[in-house]
Amino acid sequence: MADEFNRDPQETEAKDFIAEAASDQLEAVTTAGPIMAGKSKSQGQIIWEQFSRHKSALVGGWILVFMYLTAVFAGFLSPYGLNEYRRSPTASFRPPTQVHWIDPDTGRLTRPFVYDVVESRDPVTRQRVYDEDTTTKFPIKFFVRRPSQPYKILGVFQSDLRLFGVDDPARVFLWGTNNLGKDVFSRVLYGGQVSLTVGLLAVWVALTLGLLLGGLAGFYGGFVDDLIMRLVEIFAAIPGLFLLIVLASLLRDPRNPLAQAFGLQMTSSQTYILIVFVLGLVGWGGLARIIRGFILSARELDYAQAAKALGASESRVLWRHLLPSTASYVVVSLTLSIPGYILGETSLSFLGLGPSEVDTSSWGLLLRDATARGISIQFVPWLLIPGIPIFMAVLCWNLLGDGLRDAFDPRKRR
Amino acid sequence: MLVYIIRRFFQLIPTFIGATMLAFLISQLVPGDFLTRKALEPNVRPETIERMRAQFGLDQPMAVQYVRWMRNLLQGNLGQSFVSNQPVMNRIARPMRNSMYLALLSILMLWVVAVPMGVYSAVRQYSLGDQVVSMLSYFGLAIPNFFFAQVLILLIFVTRSFTKDAFDFNQLLFPVAGMTSGNHLTMTPWGKFWDIMWHMFIPSFVVATAGMAGFTRVLRAQMVEYLGSDFIRTAKAKGLGQGSITYKHALRPAIIPFVAGIGGLLPDLVGGAGLVEVTMSWPGITPTFLEALNSQDIYIVLGLIVITTLLLMIGNLLSDLLLAVVDPRIRYN
Repeated sequence: MADEFNRDPQETEAKDFIAEAASDQLEAVTTAGPIMAGKSKSQGQIIWEQFSRHKSALVGGWILVFMYLTAVFAGFLSPYGLNEYRRSPTASFRPPTQVHWIDPDTGRLTRPFVYDVVESRDPVTRQRVYDEDTTTKFPIKFFVRRPSQPYKILGVFQSDLRLFGVDDPARVFLWGTNNLGKDVFSRVLYGGQVSLTVGLLAVWVALTLGLLLGGLAGFYGGFVDDLIMRLVEIFAAIPGLFLLIVLASLLRDPRNPLAQAFGLQMTSSQTYILIVFVLGLVGWGGLARIIRGFILSARELDYAQAAKALGASESRVLWRHLLPSTASYVVVSLTLSIPGYILGETSLSFLGLGPSEVDTSSWGLLLRDATARGISIQFVPWLLIPGIPIFMAVLCWNLLGDGLRDAFDPRKRR
Repeated sequence: MLVYIIRRFFQLIPTFIGATMLAFLISQLVPGDFLTRKALEPNVRPETIERMRAQFGLDQPMAVQYVRWMRNLLQGNLGQSFVSNQPVMNRIARPMRNSMYLALLSILMLWVVAVPMGVYSAVRQYSLGDQVVSMLSYFGLAIPNFFFAQVLILLIFVTRSFTKDAFDFNQLLFPVAGMTSGNHLTMTPWGKFWDIMWHMFIPSFVVATAGMAGFTRVLRAQMVEYLGSDFIRTAKAKGLGQGSITYKHALRPAIIPFVAGIGGLLPDLVGGAGLVEVTMSWPGITPTFLEALNSQDIYIVLGLIVITTLLLMIGNLLSDLLLAVVDPRIRYN
C-alpha cells in the first residue's frame, strides 16, 4: 500500500510516452508506405479495435461491469438488510448455511431448501457448535417481499423486493455471519457500494487538483512552477500510509473543527466524503507532476506555437490545445491509479479509520472482523471471503488499465 | 559531482521544513490533546496538568510551539512521550529496528526471486513459464498485503490442524504472529537470531510479493527491449554464448533502474511493511504509530513522521546519486 503512494513509476513512463508519440509522428511521415485503399479509420475506431483485441482487458472490463451492477442492486440481491441482525437467539459466527438440493425422504433432486440451525456449546472446548434441526424444511423462496427491511437503489427507487430468502425462524447465510450475526454475503454486496466507488471519486479529486495545479505549473513556469512543485515534493516527502492514517484519523475525530462544522458526530456519508478527499489529497501529486512534464514539452511543439501565433490567448492555448493533448495519457494513468485508491480505502477501513461499522459496510471493514480479539481464523475462515472482491476489483482495474495503455500506445499496435 | 551533491542536499532543506510544518499543522487539527484527556482522570490534580502544559509548551501559540519543536529537533531531541514520559527517541528506536529487520529480509527475497523470474520470462517470451510468471505478478499486484497475510495465517493453521496427529509438524511450520517465541530470553545469541528469522519469514514474504510483481514486470519489459536492440545482435554475430549475452549484455543495462532504486527502498526499510505488521502483530513502526495516534501521544506521531520523511528524502537523493554511479550515460553538471 505504502508503495502505491510513494513511488511514481508512471512519471518516467510519461516522458517515454511523449517521446514515443513524437517519434511516431516522424515515423508516419518517413515510412508511409503505399497509399492505403478504402476508407481510413478515425483515431477512436483504431483505439477501440486495438482494445477489443486485448482479451484479458475485455474480461476484466466485463467483470468490473458485473461487480458495479451487483453494488447498484445490492439491496435486491442480498437476502438481508445492511445492518440487520437478530438479538435473540443470536447468530454469531455462523458458518455458511448449507443449501440442500436432495430431498432426504425421496432421495431425489428437489427445490433448494435449508434447515433451521440450533447453536450449542461443545462441553469440553466451549466452542460454538451448530446443528441442523432437520424436523422442518424451509424452501428457499424467490422474489420475496420483506417490508421490514426496505432499501433504495441508487438512493432513489425504494423497494422491499429481495431476490431470495427463507421464512423465519430459519435463515440463509450463504457466506456465514460475523461476530454480531450479520450476514456476510449481504454485507459484501453492500460493501461494494463503498469500496468500489471511493476509488472512482477519489480519482476525480486527484485529477481535478492534478490537472489544475500541474497545468498551471507547466504552463506558467517560473515562480508558480517552483511553488507548486515544492508543494508536490512536500506531500511526496511524507510517507503515504502515515499521511493517510493521520489525516483520516484526525479529521474524523469528532472534536476537530471540520467535524464540528458538520455537527458533532460525522454521519457515514460525511465520513465517506472525507475518505474520498483524504485519498485524493494524498494522491494528486504524482498526477500533477506527470501533467506538468507533459505540458512543458507540448508547449514547445509546433501546434501550440501556431495557436499562439494566430493570436490565441494563453488560457485558450492551455485549456483547448495543451490539456486535451494529455487526455489519452491521463485516461490510462487514472485507470491504473484506481486500484491504489481502492486499496487505500480498504486499508483505512481495515484499520477502523474508514466508514463506521454501524450503518455502512466496506470490504476492508469486513476483513477487520476477522482480526478481532479472541478470534482464531481457522474457526471462522468465511470471514476472509470479503478479501476476494477486493482482489478481483484491483486485478480487473489493472487488466483494464493495461489494455487501455496498449490500445492508446501507437508502438504496440498489432 | 560533489557540487551536485551539495546543491541537491541544500534543495532538501525547504522541502524538509515544509513537510515538518505540514505534519505539525495536521497534528494541531485536533483541539483536545493528551492533557485534556488526562485532566478527566480523578487522581490527577489540575496543577499537575498546568505544570505539564507549561512543560510541553502547549500554552504557547502554535508558531512558537513549532519553532521550539524544530529547535529541539535540530539538536536531535524529538521531545518527550506524553504517555510514558520517556524521550521519543527511546520509544521509537526499537520498533524502527524491528521494521528494518523485516524490510531487509523482504528486499533480499525480492531480489533473489524477482531477478531470475524477470530474466526467464524475457528470454522465453510468450512461453508457458512466461505466462505463469505474468499471471503470478498480476496476482501479487492485486492482492492486498493484509488479506494475503490473513490467508497465509489461515493456511498455516489448517495444515497444522491436519497434521497434528501425524508428527510434530508445529516445529516445522513458520510462526504467524509476533517476533519472538515464549522462551526467547533464555536462548543463546545464535538461537535468538534464528528465532527472529523464523518469525520473520512469512511477514517478509508477504511484504515482498507486491514489490516482486512490479519488479518482475518492469525487468521483463526492460530485458525484452534490450534483447531486441542492435548491440545484442552484434554480440550474437561475433559468436558470444547465450548466457553471456543474457547476463552480461542485456541484464546489466536492464537492471540499472533497480540498482538506483535501492536508495528508494530506504524508507521502505522502516515504513513499508505497514499493515502486514498490524495483521501479524509484528512490533514495528506502524503498530507503534497507530497506538500513539490513538492515545494522542502527538510527539511520537510527529517523531515517526519526521524520521521516515527524512529517510525518504535521503533515499531519493541516494538513488539519484547511485544512478549516476552505475549508469555512465548520466552526467551531472
